[in-house]
Amino acid sequence: MSRTVFWSLFAIALAVGLAFRLTRLDVRPMHHDEANQAVRFGLLLETGEYRYDPNDHHGPTIYYLTLPSAWIRGQKTLASLDERTLRIVPAIFGAGLILALSLLAGGLGRTAVASSALLAAISPALTYYSRFYIQESLFVFFALGFLIALGRYALNPRIASAVWAGAFAGLACSTKETWVIVLIAASAACVFARMSAAAGAEGTRGSRVSPAARGRQVIAGLLAALSIALIFYSSFFRNPSGLLESMRASTIYAGRGMDAGSHVEAWDYYLRILSWSSSGGLVWTEALVLVLAVAGIVQAFRTRTRRFWPLYVCLYSLVTACIFSAVRYKTPWNLLPFYMGFVLLAGYGAAALVDLVRPRAARGFLVLAFLAAACHLGIEDWRANFRYPADPRNPYAYGQTSTDFVRLVKRVSDVAAIHADRRNMLVKVVAGPYEQWPLPWYLRGMKRVGYWTSARGAGSLDGAPVIVASQENAGAVEAALGDRYISEFYGLRPGVILSVYIERGLWERFLKSRQPAVGDGR
Amino acid sequence: MRKVVNKHLLVWPLLLGVSLAPLVAQEAPQNKEELKLQLPKPMFIGTPRNIKSANLEAITGKPRGPFYVPVGTKLLSLNRPVRSSDMQPVIGELSMVTDGEKEGGDGYFIELGPGSQWIQIDLGATYALHAIVAWHYHSQARVYRDVIVQVSDDKDFLKGVTTVFNNDHDNSAGLGVGRDKEYIETSEGRLFNPNGAKDRYVRLYSRGSTANDLNHYVEVEVYGTPVK
Repeated sequence: MSRTVFWSLFAIALAVGLAFRLTRLDVRPMHHDEANQAVRFGLLLETGEYRYDPNDHHGPTIYYLTLPSAWIRGQKTLASLDERTLRIVPAIFGAGLILALSLLAGGLGRTAVASSALLAAISPALTYYSRFYIQESLFVFFALGFLIALGRYALNPRIASAVWAGAFAGLACSTKETWVIVLIAASAACVFARMSAAAGAEGTRGSRVSPAARGRQVIAGLLAALSIALIFYSSFFRNPSGLLESMRASTIYAGRGMDAGSHVEAWDYYLRILSWSSSGGLVWTEALVLVLAVAGIVQAFRTRTRRFWPLYVCLYSLVTACIFSAVRYKTPWNLLPFYMGFVLLAGYGAAALVDLVRPRAARGFLVLAFLAAACHLGIEDWRANFRYPADPRNPYAYGQTSTDFVRLVKRVSDVAAIHADRRNMLVKVVAGPYEQWPLPWYLRGMKRVGYWTSARGAGSLDGAPVIVASQENAGAVEAALGDRYISEFYGLRPGVILSVYIERGLWERFLKSRQPAVGDGR
Repeated sequence: MRKVVNKHLLVWPLLLGVSLAPLVAQEAPQNKEELKLQLPKPMFIGTPRNIKSANLEAITGKPRGPFYVPVGTKLLSLNRPVRSSDMQPVIGELSMVTDGEKEGGDGYFIELGPGSQWIQIDLGATYALHAIVAWHYHSQARVYRDVIVQVSDDKDFLKGVTTVFNNDHDNSAGLGVGRDKEYIETSEGRLFNPNGAKDRYVRLYSRGSTANDLNHYVEVEVYGTPVK
């Protein structure tokens, strides 16, 4: 493949990836994890305060890297933020991941990287979590950056590569606690691939570096990693103990990985999601990527053609896939660190297959078949992100907030609009922590919203024109309110219902504010 | 003392009447017969009794009682043509709404787009309508929003419209405030009583559910008798 053709195809893949990642970022209701991150970011935006919490919420990069997005849009408070300001950050890193693949054109081949870029652009999994305000998209970008920089250093040890590898390691470490898995797997894969790869131009340059020079390079890399981790975890030196706290977090997250509670899944969970998922008339599969990745793995291990980069990517992908599958705690976005490698292997496998088929007509047919399958993947990508982004049948929607919940928010907002206090209207939320989110995000514009975990603790309920209660608390709330309130209920997420109580007089005024009744002919 | 005796005289027949009432209710009224429905297999056991709302039909967990229709009532909707506000369902085909298949699994339902959507069945002629039974989706417990059932002789529903059922309690569909309650979907379907309205077209609205913002139909059955 010529350089011109490669860059043309790559530009198309990038444009498609950007379109899928940046369009209608507000189409999916905020997941409770996203809402939690958003409120924490709002605090940073308003007060400049951030302190790393080793027990939850992962690393700080996402918060600091969202600041420019808010500044550009002129948003200075939590209330002024919106979904686009937040989600554009993972979306940009998701598109950045596609762009970064171009750095591997020399190592894997242009055909392989162009194919990988297209698959990454239209992968439902990669797209879905690039539109999700959590750390994953950033983390995978930094992990890929580390993978590439480390590989380059292994082949050609220079201080620049070492510093880049260290910088990406520091960024990954400042993003999510699973950096340990990814960095160790990448390092081990790099060493093994370096030793196994057939001697050639790419495998001999490293031996020219003296041990002293190598030591300096390693120290420079480590300093880069430590500096970045210190800057982020210490909240830009305001909270120096943050870095130590992050080390303590490793043991907390390791414990959580084994004692996973409701997030326990079988070892083949990720494989099942990616290969075949069928529910409620919808079928999802990224089998195209998996099948091509198998071809890529076979090609990477073939003795005759064994080269550093394919072997390195292959080993990294397999090792991380095995480790993440072995960890009992599983959420679907945790597949990204190894799936990114599988996408690269799929591109490599596609190139190998095209190369294997000699007759021109057969090769043309193979390319057409690949494009047809890619179109199918693209349609799935559209369905996952635009048609069914919050649907429980979507395998990537995990504990996702229901679209019905958005009606609840609209109801509270509509009722507040006709209440004398407007945005100062008192709203009491009586629900456990799990049922409270993402309400704090959605009610961020209201100034008097109180949260309690039980009706007893919420004090006098009938002082509030609107009360939101979980089903566990609904009985106690209804007993306290009697018939002075009307009640409604809304789906929060699969299997979780919230009740809303609206003071009857306010409800009547609300109904009057609507169109007059015309159709109730009974 | 006399007052006490009088009280007993009043109370005992009352108690007897109350206790015998269910037995009396089992008998078909004159010129009527019980509507026999072929129900699909339940797809889930029990219903979520913990949902508390004054706007939700009471969840009894028991089968629906008998429903009586005039003798000679027939199923009119089987394989009749169906129109919709979304003529290209993402899943299934509109004809599935009247194909007689009511199973709750994959391949038996249609999926219409988000927001308020309707389907409309053309019975081919005007009939006296005695029962409309709808199964939206019964693979899991969910509540469909703004369910409105209307009948009319006008295919565009611009005139002569009778609203049979309306649980749009906040008028979000813009067809008027409904006084009926929301209900949880089960394999029994939901029976609506058109009270003998004489019409040719049946239209059912919905606006998503507690599960998602899409609209589903497994089957709709319309029962009636020819207009004399």
